[in-house]
Amino acid sequence: MSGRDRDDATDRAADFRRIASRMRLSAVRMVAIQGFGYLGQALSSAEIFATLFRGGVLRHGHDRFVLSPAHYAIALYAAAAEAGLLDEQELDTYGRDGTRLEAIATERTPVADLVCGSLGQGLSGAVGLALAVHLAGEDRVTYAVLSDGEMEEGQIWEAAMFASHHRARMGTLRVIVDANDSQVDGPVTSVTTLEPLADKWRAFGWRVADVDGHDVTALLDALVDDPDDRGPLIVIARTHIFGRMRAFPRATDGHFIKLDAELERALTAELEAALA
Amino acid sequence: MREPPYRTVLKPYGEALVALARTRPEVVCLGADLTRQTETDLFRDALPERFFNAGMAEANLIGMAGGLARAGHVVFVNTFGVFCTRRCYDQIAMSVAYPELDVKLVGFMPGLSSPGGPSHQAIDDVALMRALPNMTVVDPADAAEVTQAVAAIADRPGPVYLRLKRGEQPVIFPENHRLDLDRAQVLIGGERADACLVAAGMMIPAALAAARVLEAQDLAVTVLNVPVVKPLDTATIVDAVRHSRMVVTAENHSIVGGLGSAVAEALSEAGVPVPLRRVGVRDRFAESGSREYLFARYGLGTQDVIDAAWHGLAIERAPPRAPVVPPVPGAYAPV
Repeated sequence: MSGRDRDDATDRAADFRRIASRMRLSAVRMVAIQGFGYLGQALSSAEIFATLFRGGVLRHGHDRFVLSPAHYAIALYAAAAEAGLLDEQELDTYGRDGTRLEAIATERTPVADLVCGSLGQGLSGAVGLALAVHLAGEDRVTYAVLSDGEMEEGQIWEAAMFASHHRARMGTLRVIVDANDSQVDGPVTSVTTLEPLADKWRAFGWRVADVDGHDVTALLDALVDDPDDRGPLIVIARTHIFGRMRAFPRATDGHFIKLDAELERALTAELEAALA
Repeated sequence: MREPPYRTVLKPYGEALVALARTRPEVVCLGADLTRQTETDLFRDALPERFFNAGMAEANLIGMAGGLARAGHVVFVNTFGVFCTRRCYDQIAMSVAYPELDVKLVGFMPGLSSPGGPSHQAIDDVALMRALPNMTVVDPADAAEVTQAVAAIADRPGPVYLRLKRGEQPVIFPENHRLDLDRAQVLIGGERADACLVAAGMMIPAALAAARVLEAQDLAVTVLNVPVVKPLDTATIVDAVRHSRMVVTAENHSIVGGLGSAVAEALSEAGVPVPLRRVGVRDRFAESGSREYLFARYGLGTQDVIDAAWHGLAIERAPPRAPVVPPVPGAYAPV
């Protein structure tokens, strides 16, 4: 890497840190309106969504985007606003009666092609979309965001086996997992042992990248196309449920967060400082 | 109407699906390790690029069907009725029914038509599918209806559940019979009836045979064929029952949640005050056995329809006996 390239990469990484911070700030504001919501998911996955929606990865209106854990809608909304696909002011309606920006995404949800409020179903839908891409002879890429907790559902592994076996009949399929070690009853590791996650997916015939999910450069590198290998790709993005923010009390339930005024002020101050 | 034993034809569904797909490039065919059993070996061999075998993985099967349909395909999903409905109910609800996708679920071996015991007998598939918003539920009675159903459900936007007898399909209706997804049909009947028999699918032969027996007792009988359990043609059913002294529903399914329930709901809401009797599996799991044995043992015979009408009409003398139709190889007769 030349000095100039290194400087560009450093600049780009700094840009993405700002984008992710703005998304986290949007998420805090969305959740603050009602005082509760799926904030942890937005904090853990901010770099993942920033990479997909601002990193030149997902070609909106062309590629397919599947959001399997529909509770991550808050991250989608924040990213869509950053990408100019959603009016920033509409974010204020998050989770309110009558909004289309529902806390758990539905068929009314904008921007995503497929969402699953009932977890574990998104990968199958993504495989179906990828089969259709191949049948139509199109060059669309199918992206799917999954969570680690939903890998407790057997359907994920049914889909994993099918995708690997039928790789020659599918368009390009790329999965990003937000491995934030969080589910309703606590850390995933305390509920069920999913590890070794990377080895499991390799054993199922997938290409695997195991990366720091808060490192945009690593995420972008992992998603770079390898034209010689069209087999399905999974990027295991290791993240922290609170996005490594200092302001979070360690005891807080990460799946569904109650946000009091004090915590909101602390989070906002930390994020605004990062953006200053 | 033809008379039993009815001649049969093989694989009318499989042939109709290939014929449809040859004219409709958006049609794709999915299965789950039951290719020959669901007559889709014909599709696999004719149009292999549009055939996908998901293996024994029904949850993923339904999810992929949703994805393909979302991209514009008309997706026929083929497996046994039990695996198609019970095993992946949430997937059907969320990946197919809620988004109103063009997924046509085809479930074989309805009710007690399978010798395979409770694991293979879909006695609740109509109830399950009927409970889902946006779902159309079709229970055809003969080979001509099966053939016509394939194009008809492809033309109907949104999700459909089609339950199909496996193997030989009887030819019951005359040449000019036309399946109408929006209408129930009066097969037998005049202005007024003593008993109105409302039947679907594999209970049509028993309803027709029971009608002949009751007519021989100087009773006037109406027989309605209801190939579409949802949305129910309430108007035709209410009109026929209003002009009858009592009504019998007959279905190769549990009496809970299927045709009998649907008809009871419709008549109650319309305020039709006639006695109703439901012929079907009486809220129990069955066992392994031949169709003849199971239909007789679990209350799906011609005699059960006769008895239901007889008791509903409160006739005191013993009910007449159903004729015994001797089995003819390759032919189909009601039990």
